[in-house]
Amino acid sequence: MIAIYVVLLISVLTTVVLMAGVGGGLQLACGGVLLGSLAYLTMRVIGAEHERQELAKLRATYAQLDQQAKWIIRADLELHHAQEELDRRLASLMSLHQLGRQLQVSLKPEEVFQKFDAAIVTNFGFSVGLFGVCPTMGAVAWQSLVGVTPEAAERLRVHVTASGLLKQLLADPTPRLWQAGGGLNAAQRALLDLLGSSSAVVASILPHSGPAGCFILCRPGVRVSTSKADEELVKILAHQLSTAVENSALYEHAWSEQQTLERKVQERTRELAEANAALTRMNKAKSDFVSAVSHELRTPLAAIKGYASLLNSGQFGTLAQPQAERLAKIEKHADLLTQFITNLLDIARIEAGRTTMERRAIPVQEFLATIQELVQPQLLAKRLQLAIDRDGVTELLGDAQHLQRVLVNLLSNAVKYTPESGRISVGLRRDGASVVVTVSDSGCGIPAEDLPKLFQEFYRANDPVNQQIRGTGLGLALVKRIVEAHRGTITVASQRGQGTTFTVMLPAAAEPPAP
Amino acid sequence: MEQLAPREPKLAIAFGSSWFDQQALLDGMRSVLGALPMAGGSTAGEITPEGPRSHSCAVLLLASEEAACSIGAGESAQSHPHEAGQQAAYAAAREFPSQQRTAFLLFGDGLVSGSTDMIRGLQEGLGTSFLMAGGLTGDDLRFSRTYQYANGRAMSGGISGLLLGGGLKVGVGLEHGFAPISRPHRITRARANVLFELDRLPASSVYEEYFGADLTAQMRQERFTRQAVAFPLGMQQPDGVSGWLLRNVVAFEPDGSLRCNADVPEGASLQLMMSSPQSAMEAAVVAARQAVTSLNRVGCAIVFASAARRVLLGSQNAALEIARIREALGSSVPLIGGYTYGECATTAAATMADRTPVHTESVLVVAFGK
Repeated sequence: MIAIYVVLLISVLTTVVLMAGVGGGLQLACGGVLLGSLAYLTMRVIGAEHERQELAKLRATYAQLDQQAKWIIRADLELHHAQEELDRRLASLMSLHQLGRQLQVSLKPEEVFQKFDAAIVTNFGFSVGLFGVCPTMGAVAWQSLVGVTPEAAERLRVHVTASGLLKQLLADPTPRLWQAGGGLNAAQRALLDLLGSSSAVVASILPHSGPAGCFILCRPGVRVSTSKADEELVKILAHQLSTAVENSALYEHAWSEQQTLERKVQERTRELAEANAALTRMNKAKSDFVSAVSHELRTPLAAIKGYASLLNSGQFGTLAQPQAERLAKIEKHADLLTQFITNLLDIARIEAGRTTMERRAIPVQEFLATIQELVQPQLLAKRLQLAIDRDGVTELLGDAQHLQRVLVNLLSNAVKYTPESGRISVGLRRDGASVVVTVSDSGCGIPAEDLPKLFQEFYRANDPVNQQIRGTGLGLALVKRIVEAHRGTITVASQRGQGTTFTVMLPAAAEPPAP
Repeated sequence: MEQLAPREPKLAIAFGSSWFDQQALLDGMRSVLGALPMAGGSTAGEITPEGPRSHSCAVLLLASEEAACSIGAGESAQSHPHEAGQQAAYAAAREFPSQQRTAFLLFGDGLVSGSTDMIRGLQEGLGTSFLMAGGLTGDDLRFSRTYQYANGRAMSGGISGLLLGGGLKVGVGLEHGFAPISRPHRITRARANVLFELDRLPASSVYEEYFGADLTAQMRQERFTRQAVAFPLGMQQPDGVSGWLLRNVVAFEPDGSLRCNADVPEGASLQLMMSSPQSAMEAAVVAARQAVTSLNRVGCAIVFASAARRVLLGSQNAALEIARIREALGSSVPLIGGYTYGECATTAAATMADRTPVHTESVLVVAFGK
C-alpha cells in the first residue's frame, strides 16, 4: 500500500513538473517516471484482483469442506443410530435369553416375578420397571420394583386398582405403548404422571394356569421407541413370563400331586404292612391250629388203627369175610388219613419255620435208586416205563428225606394220571448254579386254567379224570413248600392230552443261611 | 481386605451403582472397613480390573506407611457451588496432619450446573500448588440424583474428596482423542453452562445445521444420546493452554439454547468434535502412560472415564479400552474406577494457568506410586 502512495506521489510531482514547463530534459525524464508509475499501478491492480479470486476460491473450498463435514457427520450419526439400535436389541435379546434360563428354575409362580432386577430392565432400554402378581382381576401385589421407590409403587398400585386400569390391562393380552398425547384416557394419563414419564409400556401376563400378572416399563425423560421390533421384544417378554408362570404353576401342582401321592403310598404301604402282619399272625394261628388238631387227630387215629389191626389179627376170634373186608377198608382209610395228617403237619411245620432242611450232598445214583424202588410197584401195576437221565449230575444238595418226598410225590402223581403202558421220565441237568430236575409223563395233561392254582392247598382240578383218582390236594402244596425251603423253585407245564412236566430248580452249591 | 492382608489399609476409595440404596451400601462397606477414611461416589457404571460393570460396587484400599490423608465434604453445591467447594476444602485441610500435600481426589455432584465454581472454591480453600483430580458423580444415565461418599455418609448435591500427602506419590493423565470437524463458531452469548448464541444465532441452530432437523428433533427428546456424545463441542483452552476442552450437550432447551455439562465461556471459539473408537482408545493409553511417567513404581490406579465414552464406544470397545489401560499400567497393578459425568485434573499445562478445568468424554487416570 505504501508503494502505491509513493507511486501516486511521484506521479503527482511529475505532473506538476510537466505543467510548470521546467526544462525539456527534465520533462522527458518526468514523462518516463509517469509511464513507469502507471505500469506499476496497473500491475498492482491486476495482482489484487488475482488475490481476490484466490481468496474467493479458498472460501469456496472452505465452505465445501464444511459441507462435507456436515455430510460426514450425518452419515456418522446414521451409523451411530443404527449401531445404537443394534446394541440395544442385542442387549435385549441377551437379556431375554438369560431371563429365560433364570425363569426355567422358578419353582413357584411368584418367583417368576421376582427375577427382575435393574440389569434386565436397563438392558431392555428402560430405567423403571414394576412387575406384579394379580391374585384377582382387581388386585395387584408388586414382586419386583426397579427404579421406583416403594412409596411411589404403592401410589401406582392404588391408582391402577382404583381407576380400573388393572381390569382393562388384564383383559387385553397384547402389550400396549401408552404415550402422552396419544389418545389416552384420564386414568392412563394419570399413570404416566405418577411414573413421571411421557410414555410407558404396559402388558399383562395371562398364563393358562397359575396366577395372572402385569408389568409396567418406562424411562422417565425419554420417549420410548415404538418400532415393530420393540413391540415384538415386549411381546416375547410377556409370552415368556406367561409360559414361566404356567410352567412353575404346573410344577407346583405336579409337586403337590406327587407329595399327595407319596403320602398315599406311604399310608397304603403301612396299611399293607399291617395287613401282612395280621395275615402272618392269622397264618401262624392257622398253622398252630392245624398242628394242634392234627396232633389231636393222630392219637385217636392211632388207636383206631391199632384196634383194627388187633381185630384183623384174629385174637378176638376169626372174622367173617365181609368183616375182614370192612376191617381192611378201615385200615386203608386210617392209613390215608394218617398220611393226610402227616402232610398237613409237615406243611404247618415248614410254614412256621419249625422244620430245618439239611443241606448235604446227596449221591444221585443212590437217591434215584431208592425212589425207583419205592414207586416200582405202582409202575408195574400200570405197566408204565420209567426212564431216568442223569446227564452227568452226580450230586444234589439238600435234605435227602424231604427231596425224596418231592420226587416220590411227583412220580406218584405221574403214575396216577398216566394211562397204562404210558411213559414217565425223570431228567437231571446242571444249569449254572442250579440243578434242574424234571418229571414228565405222557398222561392226560392239566387244563390251562388249573395250572396257576395247582400248588394251592386242597386244590384239585375239577375234571372227570381227577374225580376218579383219589387224592387229598395236599401233595403238590407240600412239594412246593419243601422246594422253596431249599431255596428252589417249582414250575409246571402241561397241555391237554400231551402230558405234564414238573420242573424243580435246586441250588447246586451251598448258600449262606437265610436271615 | 483379603487381598491386602496382612497390611493395614490407610484409606478407601469406593464407586457404587446409583441403583443401590446408597446409605445401605456404605453401611455394608463400613461393617467391614470400620472407621477407615473413605471417599467416593455413585457412577454411570463401575470399572474393575476385569472391565466395565453395571449395578455393582468397587472398592480400592490403599496401604502406605508414608501416606497421610483426610476427608472433606461440602453440601448444597446446587445452590452454592463455590461455597460447597470451600467447605470441602476447609474440612479436609483442618483434618490433615502437618505434612506435605500431594493431591486432592474429588468427587463432585455431576448434576450441579456450577461445577467449575465448585472446583474454584476447592482451590481457593486448598491452594493450587498441588494436584487436583477427580470426577463428577453419575447415576447410570438417569440424570436424577447422584451421590458422594464421605466417611460412611452418602450425600447428594455436594462434593467430597480425599486430601492426600505425606510420602504418597500421585500421577495423572487425561486425554480424549477427539479432533475438530466443523468450522469454528464464536460463542456470542453464554452464561455458566448454558450456551445461548453462536455467531449471533440460537445455539441449537448449529446442531440443526450439521445434524439436520430430524436428528436434532430426536435429540431434543432424549438426554445423552449416542448421537450427541459422538459429536461434542470443543473449545480451545483459554489462557494459552494447548488442547481442546470438550463439552457435552445434555439438554436442548425450548428457547434454542443448549445446556452443557460444564461451563462455556462467552467469546470462545467452538467447533464440533469427532473421534473414532481407535483414536479414543489410543488416547486412553496415552492418559495411562502420562499418569505413570513421574512414578518409579505404580502401586494402584483409579480411572475416571466419561459416561459418554461408554455410550460412544459400546460395551465391547469400552471393555477393550479398560484392558488397554491395564496393559499400559501393568497388568498386575490393581485398578478400579467409575464412569463419570465429568473429569477434572490439573494437567501440566493447566497448572501454569492455576486452574482445574472440567472435561468430558475424557479418560482420567490417577496412579499412585509405591
